[in-house]
Amino acid sequence: MVSVRNLVKLENIQKSFNQNKVLKGVSLEIAESEVISIIGGNGAGKSTLMKILTGVYKADDGTIEINSEKIHQYNPRLAHEKGIYLVPQEPLLFPNMTVEQNLTIGFNKDKSDVKEQSKNLIEELGWDIDLNRLANSLTIAEQQQLEIIKGLLREAKVLILDEPTSALTFSETKSLFTVIEKLKSSGVGIFYITHRLDEVFQISTHAVILRDGKVTLKGKIEKFTKEMLIKGLLPEGNENRYKDKFEKKLVNRENEEPILKVENISGDGFRNISFDVFKGEVVGLGGLVGAGRTEIAEAIYGINQVSSGKVYLNGDDITKLGINETIESGLSYIPEDRFLHGIFSISSIRNNITAQIIKRQGFFLKKKFEKKVTNEYVERLSILLSNQEDEIKSLSGGNQQKAVIARILSTNPQLIIMDEPTRGIDAAARSDIYSIITELKEQGYSILLISSDLEEIERISDRIFGIYRGVCNAFLGLNEINATNVMKVAFGTYEGSETYVEN
Amino acid sequence: MLSKIPKWNLVLVVVLIAEIIVFGLMNPRFWNISILLNSFNDFVGIAIIGFFVTFVVITGGIDISGGSIIGLTSVVLGLLSQILGLNIWLAVLLAILVGGLCGLLNGVLIAYGNVQAMVITLGGMLLYSGVAVVLVGVSGVSAYEGIAGFSEQFSKLAYGKVLGIPHSVILFLIMFAIAYILLHLTRFGRFIYLTGINQNAADYSGIDTRKIITSTYVLSGLSAGVAGVMLTSYLGSARADFGSEYLMPILTVVVLGGTLITGGKGGVVGTALASIIVGFLQVGLQMGGMSTQYIGLATGLLLIISVAFLGISSDFKSNFKKIVVPKKINWR
Amino acid sequence: MSKIKSITAKREFRTFLFLIVLFVVVGIVNTDFLSINNIANSLKSSLLYIVLAVGMTFVLLTGNIDISVGGVLGLSAAVSGMILRDGGSFLVAIAVAILIGAVIGLINGLGVTKLKISSFIMTLGMLEITRVVQVIYTDGQWVENLPIEFKQLSQLSFMGMNVLSIIVVVSVILVHLYLSRSRRGRYFAAIGDNEDGAVLLGIPVERYKTLSFVISSVCASLAGLIFATQIGFISTTAGVGIEMTVIAAAVLGGVSLSGGVGSVIGAGIGAIIMISINSALVYMKVPAYWNDAISGSLLIIIVVSDALIARNASKQAKKERLNTRVLQEEVRESYAK
Repeated sequence: MVSVRNLVKLENIQKSFNQNKVLKGVSLEIAESEVISIIGGNGAGKSTLMKILTGVYKADDGTIEINSEKIHQYNPRLAHEKGIYLVPQEPLLFPNMTVEQNLTIGFNKDKSDVKEQSKNLIEELGWDIDLNRLANSLTIAEQQQLEIIKGLLREAKVLILDEPTSALTFSETKSLFTVIEKLKSSGVGIFYITHRLDEVFQISTHAVILRDGKVTLKGKIEKFTKEMLIKGLLPEGNENRYKDKFEKKLVNRENEEPILKVENISGDGFRNISFDVFKGEVVGLGGLVGAGRTEIAEAIYGINQVSSGKVYLNGDDITKLGINETIESGLSYIPEDRFLHGIFSISSIRNNITAQIIKRQGFFLKKKFEKKVTNEYVERLSILLSNQEDEIKSLSGGNQQKAVIARILSTNPQLIIMDEPTRGIDAAARSDIYSIITELKEQGYSILLISSDLEEIERISDRIFGIYRGVCNAFLGLNEINATNVMKVAFGTYEGSETYVEN
Repeated sequence: MLSKIPKWNLVLVVVLIAEIIVFGLMNPRFWNISILLNSFNDFVGIAIIGFFVTFVVITGGIDISGGSIIGLTSVVLGLLSQILGLNIWLAVLLAILVGGLCGLLNGVLIAYGNVQAMVITLGGMLLYSGVAVVLVGVSGVSAYEGIAGFSEQFSKLAYGKVLGIPHSVILFLIMFAIAYILLHLTRFGRFIYLTGINQNAADYSGIDTRKIITSTYVLSGLSAGVAGVMLTSYLGSARADFGSEYLMPILTVVVLGGTLITGGKGGVVGTALASIIVGFLQVGLQMGGMSTQYIGLATGLLLIISVAFLGISSDFKSNFKKIVVPKKINWR
Repeated sequence: MSKIKSITAKREFRTFLFLIVLFVVVGIVNTDFLSINNIANSLKSSLLYIVLAVGMTFVLLTGNIDISVGGVLGLSAAVSGMILRDGGSFLVAIAVAILIGAVIGLINGLGVTKLKISSFIMTLGMLEITRVVQVIYTDGQWVENLPIEFKQLSQLSFMGMNVLSIIVVVSVILVHLYLSRSRRGRYFAAIGDNEDGAVLLGIPVERYKTLSFVISSVCASLAGLIFATQIGFISTTAGVGIEMTVIAAAVLGGVSLSGGVGSVIGAGIGAIIMISINSALVYMKVPAYWNDAISGSLLIIIVVSDALIARNASKQAKKERLNTRVLQEEVRESYAK
């Protein structure tokens, strides 16, 4: 056997953020011409690991060896020098510069040399990128190609591709794979981060599964099957972060009209989606980040338009209504990104809570009424605060989220869409949110839950519809909901996933 | 109770009192109430536009076209009443409406066209004063002398008094009251703040932020119209270049008043105090025998110092960064 | 997708085309407008604005704004004008002007980068301060009786061409090459284009931002000298309100106020257009008072149409991006195997 040169060796890497241990001793190595797929759910620690590998984060513990040489004082510049290059999921280009300028900027080399090299590279790779085009005219695929070229120009030995195919079309993916093959044969080692199991088998030589900051499965790809990979992604045994159980009952809904009925809607980022939500139940939209669930929710809520299909709330057609009107008809939405879409950070807690209800009151503000409403919800949701007039940014993430929930509850909605309601929230507040959800359910509110936390969606939902790459690929009834099935749904490998759409 | 008043407003009150004391010591005539009240005539235009530009700035925008709208409304008023012979009060109403229309154009292009407020109002500034000049030119009036010959009745608008209080002071108070009530006591005002703090979140909450933004420019335009009418009455003629030097003072009083240029925070009380401070500064310097040009030095320094102070004292910036930046560069 | 590309790539080109069209249309009405003499004159009277627009472009490229240029122009023109009037040498006067510009620019830059004051406010304050300092320094008097030799500088010609014009045009081209071709020159646009990206590349962002304010102020000082030699005296109101004209010229020439986009050539052409509208009106026998109304509406129309095009393009891009994620028939079939 020919000895292959080891490029990078990570040993026992540990990293915590605040009290949160993200990496719990990860060891990993890559040699020339290897393509290692790194698979893991959201929050498994993949991107943290890669940021440590590129010197962006400093590991708390563990060693990094590059070309069998131990590295101390690691930083991004050194990573570049050593030939480690990350192609980010969202390329960080200069949008108003040409391709050529993007390639040459910040490079201590003669420009004409760089240009010559890039031309050769592009030709060698068989890509068709005009050096004079502006970066903002490139498709995501082309931007990624540009990032790859940037890496190769810097003579990258190890290339990290972070979910490169998440925004690529089928043919673009194909051509990316050809490039990976070429790079592989020229000796480059590639870390390939992905959620798509089919791709893992298509291009990688090895697979590594990361779960909860640990490597749970590692080895040559030939040794694995899809089933084994899914199993590696699941928590072991009955290991559960939470003790309390949620009561779920199987209810016969045959003679009931659903609160929300979504009929075959298509739009940007999703197509042919149908599902329904009944009174007093939690319906989960399962899947991974970027599967199109937020786009579906935003289309129902009236932020985006649907191109076809119908949405009914209580039997009324709300398909074409704007946000204001859907709110009036009884819909509400807790957005995915709390800072960007949820809170008014430098406004008071009270003003945040009453932001929507004041619309139903007269033209003049009624301070007493606002105080009353705020007091009511602060008590009901047990929001921890010292003064209602403090800015909401002074609250913890969990309490901020509760304030957002208070705001939408004040409009007395019938259906609440919760998009990643516990993201960035500590464990205690998390279970608070869960008990709020349970309470709301008991009070007869209907909830559409979008969550990438597979455990969360499994525990809370009465029924789950799986969204995979913009299509609804699976349905899990009460008895079918378990960790394995939820995971399979997210990765698009649930039984009958492929044919579900036709049914 | 005291804790409810924003700190910056307290600072402004202290500055104002100190100013009155210092100028009074330099020249006791400064303590003559009627002189101080009459001085309102000189800055009431700046103040009332400032009130509503405060609205605009709170939404996160900016309006630099106010000065030009003064000139335009002045000319429109002059043309309608003196050349076309319209009833003076009808002409006043129409002139103010023209100001509102200019604001509407600004607002629609900014909110619905998604163009930077600075660029649009810069274009508006050129356009509105340009239209005023064209109107003067087309009607064949001497640009230098303007349209004169307004009735006695009309000039009373600026020079009249009620119970010994000049109209300009009353106008100041009325406009302040309107602005204060709108901004601080109505849901419209609340929506202005919410829009300025986080337009996305406001949209998601069902607030029609584009309408809110547009309406602030309309209000700003209307207030410039009122200022134009007032100035025309005060100076006794209608000219296109009225208000041309108002641009910087308006922005100065808004920013000095403690309104955050990035939006979301501020209020008209600060703007009112700042405009009185700047206005009295001018009177005081004049009485002290100094060139009124020095006022620029004082306001310029005040502006930079106050903003540096506001920027550092409030933890807004660092926190804002914490919220916005970490997604991209949290490794710094 | 190629739409944005063609639009943005040709932005300066379109401005230039507009300038040509302006000259041709007016030329058809009145052929005198196309005379070499008039074109040279148009250029000569735009020089001041071109120099200011070039400096402004540096600041705008980094995503900031400089309102203080009018004040700097007035102050440095007045100070060096007084030196000249009192018999000082040309070199001293020029050096002092540049020094004034550099110091003010440095203060602006440090205020923006270190004190984190918004550039709009910082330079607005500086505008007021420089105006007052000018008045104090000149005692509120006009600076007159500049030496004849100095005034003649603006009239110098070489092979029938105005020397000052040649210097300015050549400098604009050189600055353009610096900004678009040299490694460091491109940092300015990079900062305004994607500040995070610039930081990641190791570009000293704060230093370049400060530098942009220094360059802008020095350009304003040079414009002050041009003002002094062309006009021959410096009033206390020299350069009042010029900052808005300059910003309008830069925007007209395709420089974006959000940073990252634009060129000094575009800004220069924008300045020539702003000034030429004036003389074009005269040649077309349209009263000059149409000037501002025309440039104002021109500015609004151009930026609004640009913004609408850009918005549609980005909407389209987002749509395409989302839709590529959706599992398509072809893919499903291949997976089903």
